Amino acid sequence: MVLRLGHHFHQDMKAQCISHCLLGMTLILYSVHTHSLRRCLISVDMRLIEKSFHEIKRALQNKDTFQNVTILSTLQSLKTIKPIDVCCVTKNLLTFYKDRVFKDHQELSPQILRNISNIANSFLYMQRALQQCGQRWCQCSQEAINATRIVHDNYNQLEVRSAALKSLGELDIFLAWIDKNHQETSAT
Amino acid sequence: MLSRRLLLLSALVSLCLGFGAHGTELPSPPSVWFKAKFFQHILHWVPIPNPSENTSYEVALMRYGSRLWKTIPSCSQALELSCDLTNFTLDLYHSNGYRAKVRAIDGSQHSNWTLTKTRFTLDEVTLTVDGVTLEALNGYIFGTIHLPGSQVAPEGNTYQDIFEYFRTYTIAFRKVPERTFKIKMVNRENFSLSFPGEVGEFCVKVMPNVESRANKAEWSEEQCLHLTKQYFTVTNLSIIFTSILLFSGALVCLALQLYVRRRGKLPAVLIFEKTSPFFLVNFPCPDTYNTIHILDLVTFQKVSPELKDSDLHGSTDSGFGSGKPSLQTEKPQFLLPGPHPQTQEALGKGEPPELQDSHSDGSSDSTDSGICLQEPSLHPSTRPTWEQQVVGTSQGQDDSGIGLVPNSEGQPEHTKSGSHLGHVSLLGPAVPEEEAPAVVAVQGYLKQTRYTEDMTNPTGCLEEEVSLIDAFDPKLRTCLQAESDWPSLALAKGYLKQDTPGMTLVPTGTPGEHWNQLPEEWPLLVLPSCEDPNTVSWSFAHDPAPLDCVAAPGGLLGSFDSNLVALPLISSLHTED
Repeated sequence: MVLRLGHHFHQDMKAQCISHCLLGMTLILYSVHTHSLRRCLISVDMRLIEKSFHEIKRALQNKDTFQNVTILSTLQSLKTIKPIDVCCVTKNLLTFYKDRVFKDHQELSPQILRNISNIANSFLYMQRALQQCGQRWCQCSQEAINATRIVHDNYNQLEVRSAALKSLGELDIFLAWIDKNHQETSAT
Repeated sequence: MLSRRLLLLSALVSLCLGFGAHGTELPSPPSVWFKAKFFQHILHWVPIPNPSENTSYEVALMRYGSRLWKTIPSCSQALELSCDLTNFTLDLYHSNGYRAKVRAIDGSQHSNWTLTKTRFTLDEVTLTVDGVTLEALNGYIFGTIHLPGSQVAPEGNTYQDIFEYFRTYTIAFRKVPERTFKIKMVNRENFSLSFPGEVGEFCVKVMPNVESRANKAEWSEEQCLHLTKQYFTVTNLSIIFTSILLFSGALVCLALQLYVRRRGKLPAVLIFEKTSPFFLVNFPCPDTYNTIHILDLVTFQKVSPELKDSDLHGSTDSGFGSGKPSLQTEKPQFLLPGPHPQTQEALGKGEPPELQDSHSDGSSDSTDSGICLQEPSLHPSTRPTWEQQVVGTSQGQDDSGIGLVPNSEGQPEHTKSGSHLGHVSLLGPAVPEEEAPAVVAVQGYLKQTRYTEDMTNPTGCLEEEVSLIDAFDPKLRTCLQAESDWPSLALAKGYLKQDTPGMTLVPTGTPGEHWNQLPEEWPLLVLPSCEDPNTVSWSFAHDPAPLDCVAAPGGLLGSFDSNLVALPLISSLHTED
């Protein structure tokens, strides 16, 4: 009887130890993951992207006639997105701009078109950096998936050119969000 | 029928359009824009063309993404073309921006809305600084940049909080009256500009920047500062202070040295504590020349007038090289007791040949015109016999030393002859010849004169000596001894120290360089020489009353030649039995 009690006690202890170890491993992996995105985007010159956008911001936003509609601002989740979802959301939004916005926008002005091209190329570089640096840690949660779906839904409510124009006009929101998430790492 | 229906329809349509046109007759503002600085968000618009007096404007604000426009009633002021929306956009620096629109209102009419062309965001805030403070120090200008602030800003929304990283500043400075600026980039709110060796007025202005953003910026107001040559810098003050310390230290050392020299021992020539080998070698003095026997005045008056008028007294006796015969060469008229053998030993041995010769003559040929001084305590009543000693002339006299006796009374009568020898001999009262020679402790010093063969006419010297006797204490006994009796050491500088406690001499004149050669431990007893400008005057350092002769210029001791070897012996009044 006593031997059985001792055996059960040892098993409980082992279970607790294992659970604690797993929890610790999870935390370590989580911290590594959150830092991985920041480290990956250090090489990206956000200053160049922001400068390119600033030159075309007035022209793009001036053409936006749908002032009451937004594509990214309704995304309150951008501020509430958890660090663990930053990688997934960043990757999804980069894909959104590359596959839909830049393709749907029809620009006639060469100067604006040049700057838009610079921004698009920078987004491609960022996407490759994320894939090479932390792709295996970039797991999308349900919240991240839902946030991406809202953006697409807002884009779909508008006419394609208007939507593309509005999305280009909201690039500053997306760039500010990226800058905030990896600003501490790049500053150090 | 159909045509009439078409006409009615067109009339109705025109009426409707007219009403609509009347509602929107009022033109809308041509342009609306934000002009913002740090927590100064001002909405500006261009007025409508031809506004009336009742034309006003309505402002509406919407947060980007909310879909609701908010009318700002405080901005609906007549004739106002701008509105401060800071209090309604406090979260600008943490949001996606605002949209604003303005329309004109004139009574019942209102214009269309005019929207801002861009979304009002943080990117449209113009970066500025509140000012810059300058301070000049040692050729440098130190500046402090004051960042903008706002009382309406919420907590945690300072300039440093919002633009936390990559803050830089462009410093532009120039020297008045130049117009070209020089640029310097700094990344801190404190900076310094170097202007080594330059003076004048310098002006500085600052423009902020955030490297991670594309915000516009404005220059601050120009601040000017005048640079002048600073003489009282820390470095200069430290150098001055150090030099003052060194200079004062040098002065203190110099003062101490002067003090030691002045209050130190007497010059060596005046100190006769011990026998100088120099004296023994060069100045053989008769051994017996250590006593002073006071001559008898009566007897002294019998001195040949020739002695009185001898050149001895009129000579510029420096004690050396005098061509005139010394009084000591004359036959002494006042003979003093012979020297005590102990005294002879004390005073040294070895006499120069000329001294020995004179000594054999019973000191009659002695060139010593010095005085043997007797210590009163030893032989107060001893009155040695005096012999009239012929004191050589000044030319033959080498000794200009004078021995003074303490407790001398009265003043010596200066002879008219004015001996230049300086070797005034104090002659004590005449002592009987038969009186036993007394070995007395000599007081003061013994004057040494150089022996010369032509010593004649000692009268003048004797007379002078007699006159001087009166001024001294009876205890003082002077004697003129034969040159052979003088100890050699007494001849060295002309004086032998006599054991007289408390006796110090204070030369009032300049004894000359040769005095320095005397041993320092030889104090002097000086007999003043009156009317002898070429001799050094001496004075007692203590009472009795000073002699008149002391103050005489030239004094007793004449200027010594460097040839101290030729000091004449002071002829002692001591007679050899």
